[in-house]
Amino acid sequence: MTAPAARRSLPILREGTSAYLKVDPDGFRAYVRDNKQRALTPRLMSAREAVERFVADGDYLAYECNYLMRGPNELVHEIIRQEKKQLWAAGKFTYVDVALLVDAGCVSRADCGFFLSSPPIDRALREGRLEVFEYSNVIMTTRLQAGAMGIPFLPVRSFGGTDGFDHSGAKLITDPYTGDPITIVPALNPDVAIIHVHQADVYGNARVFGTGISDVESALASRKVIISAEEIIETDDIRAKPGATSIPYYAVDAVVHSPHGSYPGTCPGYYGSDPEVVFEIFRAIMTDQVQAYLDKWVRPFATFAEMLNERVGAAKLEAMTAREVAKDGYSA
Amino acid sequence: MTRAEAFSEREVAMCTVAHLVENGRTYWAAGGGTPLYSVLLGQKLYAPDAQYITEDGVVAPEPLLPFEPMMTMVASRAVHHALLWGTMNSAGLHAQLGHMDYGVLNTLQVDQHGNINSTFLGEYGGSGRRFGGPGGADTIAACCWRTILITDQERRKFVKEVDFISSPGFLDGTPGARERAGLPRDTGPWRVVTPWAMYDYEDRRLRLMARVPWVTVDEILAECEWKPLIAPEVQVIEPPTEEELHLLRTELDVRGQTTDAAGSWITWDGEKYVRA
Repeated sequence: MTAPAARRSLPILREGTSAYLKVDPDGFRAYVRDNKQRALTPRLMSAREAVERFVADGDYLAYECNYLMRGPNELVHEIIRQEKKQLWAAGKFTYVDVALLVDAGCVSRADCGFFLSSPPIDRALREGRLEVFEYSNVIMTTRLQAGAMGIPFLPVRSFGGTDGFDHSGAKLITDPYTGDPITIVPALNPDVAIIHVHQADVYGNARVFGTGISDVESALASRKVIISAEEIIETDDIRAKPGATSIPYYAVDAVVHSPHGSYPGTCPGYYGSDPEVVFEIFRAIMTDQVQAYLDKWVRPFATFAEMLNERVGAAKLEAMTAREVAKDGYSA
Repeated sequence: MTRAEAFSEREVAMCTVAHLVENGRTYWAAGGGTPLYSVLLGQKLYAPDAQYITEDGVVAPEPLLPFEPMMTMVASRAVHHALLWGTMNSAGLHAQLGHMDYGVLNTLQVDQHGNINSTFLGEYGGSGRRFGGPGGADTIAACCWRTILITDQERRKFVKEVDFISSPGFLDGTPGARERAGLPRDTGPWRVVTPWAMYDYEDRRLRLMARVPWVTVDEILAECEWKPLIAPEVQVIEPPTEEELHLLRTELDVRGQTTDAAGSWITWDGEKYVRA
C-alpha cells in the first residue's frame, strides 16, 4: 500500500540561499484582522502624518512605478525628510529610486528586479551599507501577487537556471501534477506600500488610469498602505462607476492629497515630466551628487507642496499639464 | 530606399534588428531603449502588422512619437491607443502562456550558449562591478518563443561563460537544460545582433552568420574573447537606409541617447563604407 499523496515528500531540487522577507500568510491575515479599518472611516491626512504613522525604521518598503513615472514622489521625499532607516526596498522597475533612498541613508537592503547601477550604489555596497538580493522585475511582481492572494508562494516558468535564482529565495521542485521541474518563489507581503494614483476618495477607494507595474498587488499584499492621489473625489463618484475602482478602501490605511505628486516624473494623462529635472537627477546619481540633489529639492522644504511652489512654480506646472496631450483613457 | 551616407554603430544594430521584424508576430521589448526602437523601426517601415508588448503590459500601442526623454513606458505618449492596458504581471503571464513570439533585449555580456549577464562583472559579491539587474529580460528570455539579443561587439562582451547568468540562454548548452531548470519547452535564444555582426545558434552554440560590409570575419573574431562557430557562408548585412535613420533620429531616439551612446561613426567615402 502506498502512502497517501499528501504524505509523500516533495524533494527540493535546488534552492536559493539568500535572505528573503519571512513568508507568513496566517500572520498576514491576523494583521489584517487586527489592524485594517473595515469601517468606512475617513483616512485623509498629510504626507508627514502618513509617513510618521505608517513607515517605521526597518520596514520592508514597496513603492509603485518609479520616480520618473507616476511615482509616489511626495511620499519618497517625506521618507527622506523624516530620515527613516534600515528600510528593505522592493527595487523593481526602477532607475533612480533605490540610489536616492540608499544615499539618503534610508535603505540598507534591496531586492533587485532592476535599478540603476551607479556610484552611490557601488559605494554603499563597498562600505557594507547595502545588501542586494537578486530577482527580476516579473519575479518581484509575481511575489507580490502571491502576497496579494494570501498564499505562501507561486510557481513560475522563468527564473530557473539563472544565478539570480541561487541568490534569491526561490526553490526548484518537482511539480506534483506534471512531474516536471518547476520554480517557486516566495510570497512578498511588504510592511508598507506607497502608491500614487490618479483619484481616490477619503476612505482610500482608488483609481489608477493607464498602465502600471503592480499597484493592485502591492496594495493588497502590504500590511500598511499609503495612497497619494492627484485628486480626492467624492465617494458618490466612486459608486457611480465601481468598475473603475482599482484598490478597495479596506486595503488602505492613509490617503494623501498630492497634486503633482509625481513631479519631476509624469502622471500619465494629467501631466508630462519635467525633462530638465529628470536629467538633473540622472546626472546627480551618475556623478555621485545625490546629497546636492536632496539639499536642493527635498531637505529645505517642510512639504512637497512648498517645494512645488518655491522651486518649480505654478507656470511650469501648468506647462507640464498643458504638454500632456494624450487624454484618451485617463478618466473613469 | 536610399543608401545612408553616415551613421553610428548603434544605429546599425537597431536597423539590423528592424529587418528581422515580421508581420503577424508579437514582440516583447525589454525596457524602453534599443529593443523598443528596433521593433518600432521594423514595424513602421517593413512590418505594419507586427505588434509589440512592453514590460508594463501595454499591448499593441500606437505611440505618439517622439517620446519624452526616458518616458518609454507607463507615460501616456508611449501607451497611447493600445489594445490593452495591463500590468507587469499581465505581460509576464501572457508570455508564460506562449503569446509572445519574440523577445527583444539588450545586455552587457553574452556567452557561447546565449546566457545573458546584466547583473555583475567579476566574481559576484567581490570587487567587480554591479549593473542594473535583469529587469524584464529574465522573463523575456525564459518565456518568449525566440529571443533576439542586442549588444556591442566588444571582446569582453563575448565570453565563454558569463560571470553571472541574469537571464537564461541555453544554460550549460546540454540538450534539455532549460527544461530541467523549469523553463518552458522549445524556447530560447535565436539571434544576437551587434553593430558589426549577426549570430545564430547551432546545437545551442553561438555561430557567426552575417557581418556588415565594412568589417571582416577576422576583425569580428578579434572582438570575441570566446570564438563562436562560423557559418559555412557568412552573409553580408544590408547597411542602414536614409529612411531608417530619419525615423530613428526624428521620431524615436531624438536626443541620441541610445544611438550616439557608443561606438564609431561609419561613413560612405564614395566607393565604400569606412569606420571613423
